[in-house]
Formats: sequence, structure tokens, C-alpha cells
Amino acid sequence: MKKNTFIGIAVTISLLSLVWIFITPILLPTDSSMVEAAAPHKGFYAPAFTLETIQGETLKLSDYNGSPVLVFLWASWCSVCKRAMPGLQTVYNDYAKDGFELLAVNLTYQDTLSTAETYFVSQGYTYPMLLDRDGSLAQEYRVHALPTSVLIAPNGKITDVVIGSGMNEGFLRARLNDLLNSEGQE
Amino acid sequence: MFPVIDLGPFAIQAPGLILILSLWIGIWTMGKFSDALGTNGEAIENSILMGILVGIVSARIGFLLQNPAVFLENPLSLFSLTPSMMNTSFGLLAGLLSTFIYAQKKHLPLWPTLDTAAPLFIQIFIGWHLANFASGNAYGLPTELPWGVDLWNATRHPVQLYTLILTLCLCIWVMVHTKGLKTSGFLRSGLLFQWLLIGLALITLTTQVFVQEKTLIAGIDLLQTVSFLILLGNFALIYQRRYTSRKRISVFISLGSNAEPTKNLSDAISALKNSYKVRGQSSIVRSQDVTQDTNALLFYNQVIEIETNETYPHLLEGLKSIEYDFGREQGNKQHVPLDLDILTYDEDVFTYNEKRIPHPNLIRYHYIIQPLAEISPYFRHPATGKSIQEIISQTKGDQPNLVKVKR
Repeated sequence: MKKNTFIGIAVTISLLSLVWIFITPILLPTDSSMVEAAAPHKGFYAPAFTLETIQGETLKLSDYNGSPVLVFLWASWCSVCKRAMPGLQTVYNDYAKDGFELLAVNLTYQDTLSTAETYFVSQGYTYPMLLDRDGSLAQEYRVHALPTSVLIAPNGKITDVVIGSGMNEGFLRARLNDLLNSEGQE
Repeated sequence: MFPVIDLGPFAIQAPGLILILSLWIGIWTMGKFSDALGTNGEAIENSILMGILVGIVSARIGFLLQNPAVFLENPLSLFSLTPSMMNTSFGLLAGLLSTFIYAQKKHLPLWPTLDTAAPLFIQIFIGWHLANFASGNAYGLPTELPWGVDLWNATRHPVQLYTLILTLCLCIWVMVHTKGLKTSGFLRSGLLFQWLLIGLALITLTTQVFVQEKTLIAGIDLLQTVSFLILLGNFALIYQRRYTSRKRISVFISLGSNAEPTKNLSDAISALKNSYKVRGQSSIVRSQDVTQDTNALLFYNQVIEIETNETYPHLLEGLKSIEYDFGREQGNKQHVPLDLDILTYDEDVFTYNEKRIPHPNLIRYHYIIQPLAEISPYFRHPATGKSIQEIISQTKGDQPNLVKVKR
């Protein structure tokens, strides 16, 4: 390539890039109303749900607005889930006083309720166990592997969706510290 | 979208699998490319693998340093085999730093090494966007265009597809330009890497517009700003490296003769001195041309270092005309009055008219390596960064005996 050709190309590309960077935000403004929508993904509002506990009580996600909430989707046949739950209990013990709520949603439509309930009660977990009897929550949250953990900030927006063993004691503690601290600053 | 592969207790998610796979393909392609360029593929690969390892470990350590309470509560979490609890930027920094230090220790030359890694960089870029496509990250703005995809409760720009299509075009350019990863396609090392970087920056800068989640600084997207700076920086650097005339380039030349060799070699050096500054000249060594049978005439060889401002094609032409003046006939191996081979041209690694620079014989024959070591004991191979001593110890046996003829 000749020197002048190169300079021509370099200058043209640079100028076009600059124009593109400055023009496109005007042509394609980011529509903030779409961010307000609910979707099971980081940055969106957590899709609302209402489920029954094993005690027959009805719980709504919206009841916990203003608190960090962990929605933990599990089944009794899922060994990774069961290995994670004692750690979650420890965190729950430490952070419930700060308003932290843990909702262990059993995918009842894929599980045997009696087995799941026996296991849950025998382990002495103190957080509520919710029942997704028809799979509507699993569908709403696009669950495709267990466990799936959805951490929701006090403002109702999802901060983390973790599939598998990643939502462990250490990670949850660190995230809760962040969430509770940033809330205090606001 | 969103497949998960269950492997015993581990749910390997598609994005992770895609990243690992593209890394593997990238390293494999890089190895092939390294063979073609003659760079030190093994050391480059090791430095990258070490960077990844150090990066992962540091990402965990970084996270725990950031959250000391977590670590004190549960010290064993340091060794937890989950992909969470990572401080990505800390890991990235430590990984890059360790790669850099390893490469320095191995004396890997910067630009040829970056050229070699070009296929890996494209592959990682592709893998990153495919992984985002699989996880639904970096999703697009809502659109009413007919090719919009349904994602996160809206019809959105399939921005990862835009990126992948443009990257595919870049891949095609790379394949054509390098003749299927056979050469770097440039007469200067590093230009392939720099043009690639410009291409990737341009793609990012273009497609980032359609991404919904942005980090804005003063109203301008951060990724776009970074891409634009990469673009400008590389244009400036290419201009400086490729289009400003270079002064005092060091070139090593091997001289050989089997007809009136002592006279021809000393006359040749006088002839070279008319056009170039000769920085150093080795003793003359005598050996038999290893490609010939034992009855062939004895070859005399010498290595000199010259200084020139000429471009490689010019220099090559100049040397050919000197060979011609000494009565060299192409193809006649029995009678070679003068043979001039350019061994290295500056620090560059390239192929020109099927000729590879640095010359492949540079790591093959002692009749070149020994005289070279004599005039330049601290010489390092421009492509591999190996010292002349390493080159000597790594050349295969079965070399013809060398006799020093005269100083």
C-alpha cells in the first residue's frame, strides 16, 4: 500500500468512526422504559411470583421489596442443590437480621413432594420452602439446570443469576455485603 | 439457546464450554501458524497457558482480598472449585503480567510473537461473543426490524450475530492475506497483528451501538471510546513503523563461494563496501556443501553484518546484481563464484517471493552459525528469540567439518 493511500484510508476510517460514535446515539436512543421490564436476567426487575409454602402460607416476591432476596431453585434429587443448602442456612442465620430473605423454591412438578419435604424438615432449615407445583415459576425464570440461584437487590433488580454450585457461602456473603453496604450509602 | 451439559456434579454451561473450546481451537491454530512463521510456538503457548492459570488463581485471591471477611469466615473457600468468587479485572491483570514476564524471560520477540498469536486473538473474540450469545449477555436494543430476536421480554437486535458476521469477514481477510496462515503477509513483523486489532476495534465500535447495556462516560460509550483509541493508536504506529523511512538497518549476510573462493570472497566484501557500511566480518570457514556429494568442490563461507537504509526488495536486488557481476549462474551448483544470502533483515520475520527471513539455514548449518557467533556473540534469532549458543546446541549433528581458513 502506498503511503498516501494508507493515510487516506486511516483518516477516512477514523473520521467515519467518530461520526458513527456521535450520530448513532441520536438515531438509536436507549429506551429506558425497556430496562424497567421484568426478565430473569441480570439488570432486569425480577419477575413477580406468588407461591405457597409447605405450611400452606402464601408468599409474594413483592412482599420483600426493600430487602435483598435469594431465590434458590432446587429439587430433592439434585445433589449439588443439597450440598449448597447448609451453607446458605449459615448465611441466612447471619444476615436475616439485616432483612435478607432466602426463598428455597422446590420444583415440585419435577419432584416428589413428600421426599422433598421430609428432607427439608429433617435438615432443620429455617428459611421458607416454596412449592412450584405447576412449573410456572421455572418457566418464568427460564430454569434449565439445578440449582439456579437468583439474587435480587433491595430495589427489586436481579444482580446475579448463578447456575450450579457457584452460589456458595462465600460468594453469597460477599454479594450481600456489597448489596447492604451500597443500600446504606444511597 | 441456553443449553447446559451435565457432567456428574458439574453443570457445565454452554458459555463456559464455548470459551474453553474457542481457546483450544485458537491455541491449536496458533501452533500451526507458529510453525509457518518459524516462531517459538512452544514458548508462546506456555506463556499463554501460564497466564490463564495465574489469571484464574489470582482472580480468586483478588476476590478474597476484596472480601477479607468471607475468607476469615470460611478459609477453605480459597480452594472452592466453583467459577464464582472471582475478581475478573484482578485476574486479567495478573494473567497478562505473568504472560509478559514469561515472554520476557524466554526472550520472545514482541512483534513476531503478537503476529503468531493473531489467530488466537480472533478465536477468543469470536468465543467471547458466542458465549454472550448463549448466555444472553450483552443483549441488543429493542427493534422492529424483521430479523429481531425475542430475548428478555422484547424483540431485540441480534447484536452478537452482527459482530460474528463482521468478524467472519475479518477472518476471511486474514486467511486470504496470510495465504491460509502460511506467512504474515507483511514485510514488517507486527503489522498483521496491528491490522487485526484495527479490525476488531472497528467491529466493536460499530456493533456496540446496538447493545442495550452501556457504560457511559460523558455520554459516550466506554467500549467505543477504547476501541476508537486503539484504532487511532494503531494507525499512528503503523504509519511510524511502516511508512517512515528506517535508518541504519542491521542485516546479516552469508557469503559462499567454491570457485577461487578466497579471492572472490574478499572481492565481494570490497564490492559490498561500495554500497553499504560493513559493520563486521567473520573469519572464512571451509566446508563441503552438505547438499553435495563428497567429490564436490570445497565451499568457503563467511558471514558479515552490514548497515543499510534500503528496503528488503531493494537490498535483495542489489545483492543479486553483485552475484551476477561475479559470474553466478542460476542453478549451477558445481561452480558458484559467489552466493549471497540475506540471513536476517532488522528484527523482522516475513516471507518475500517464497524466501523466508530469517533464512531457514540460520538454524541449520554450522558454516553459517559459527561465523555469525564469531561476529555477534549476543545474537538472538529474530523469530524465536533464541541465543546463538542455543541455536548451536540445537542444530542437528552430521555437520561437515569446518576449518577456519583465515581471519
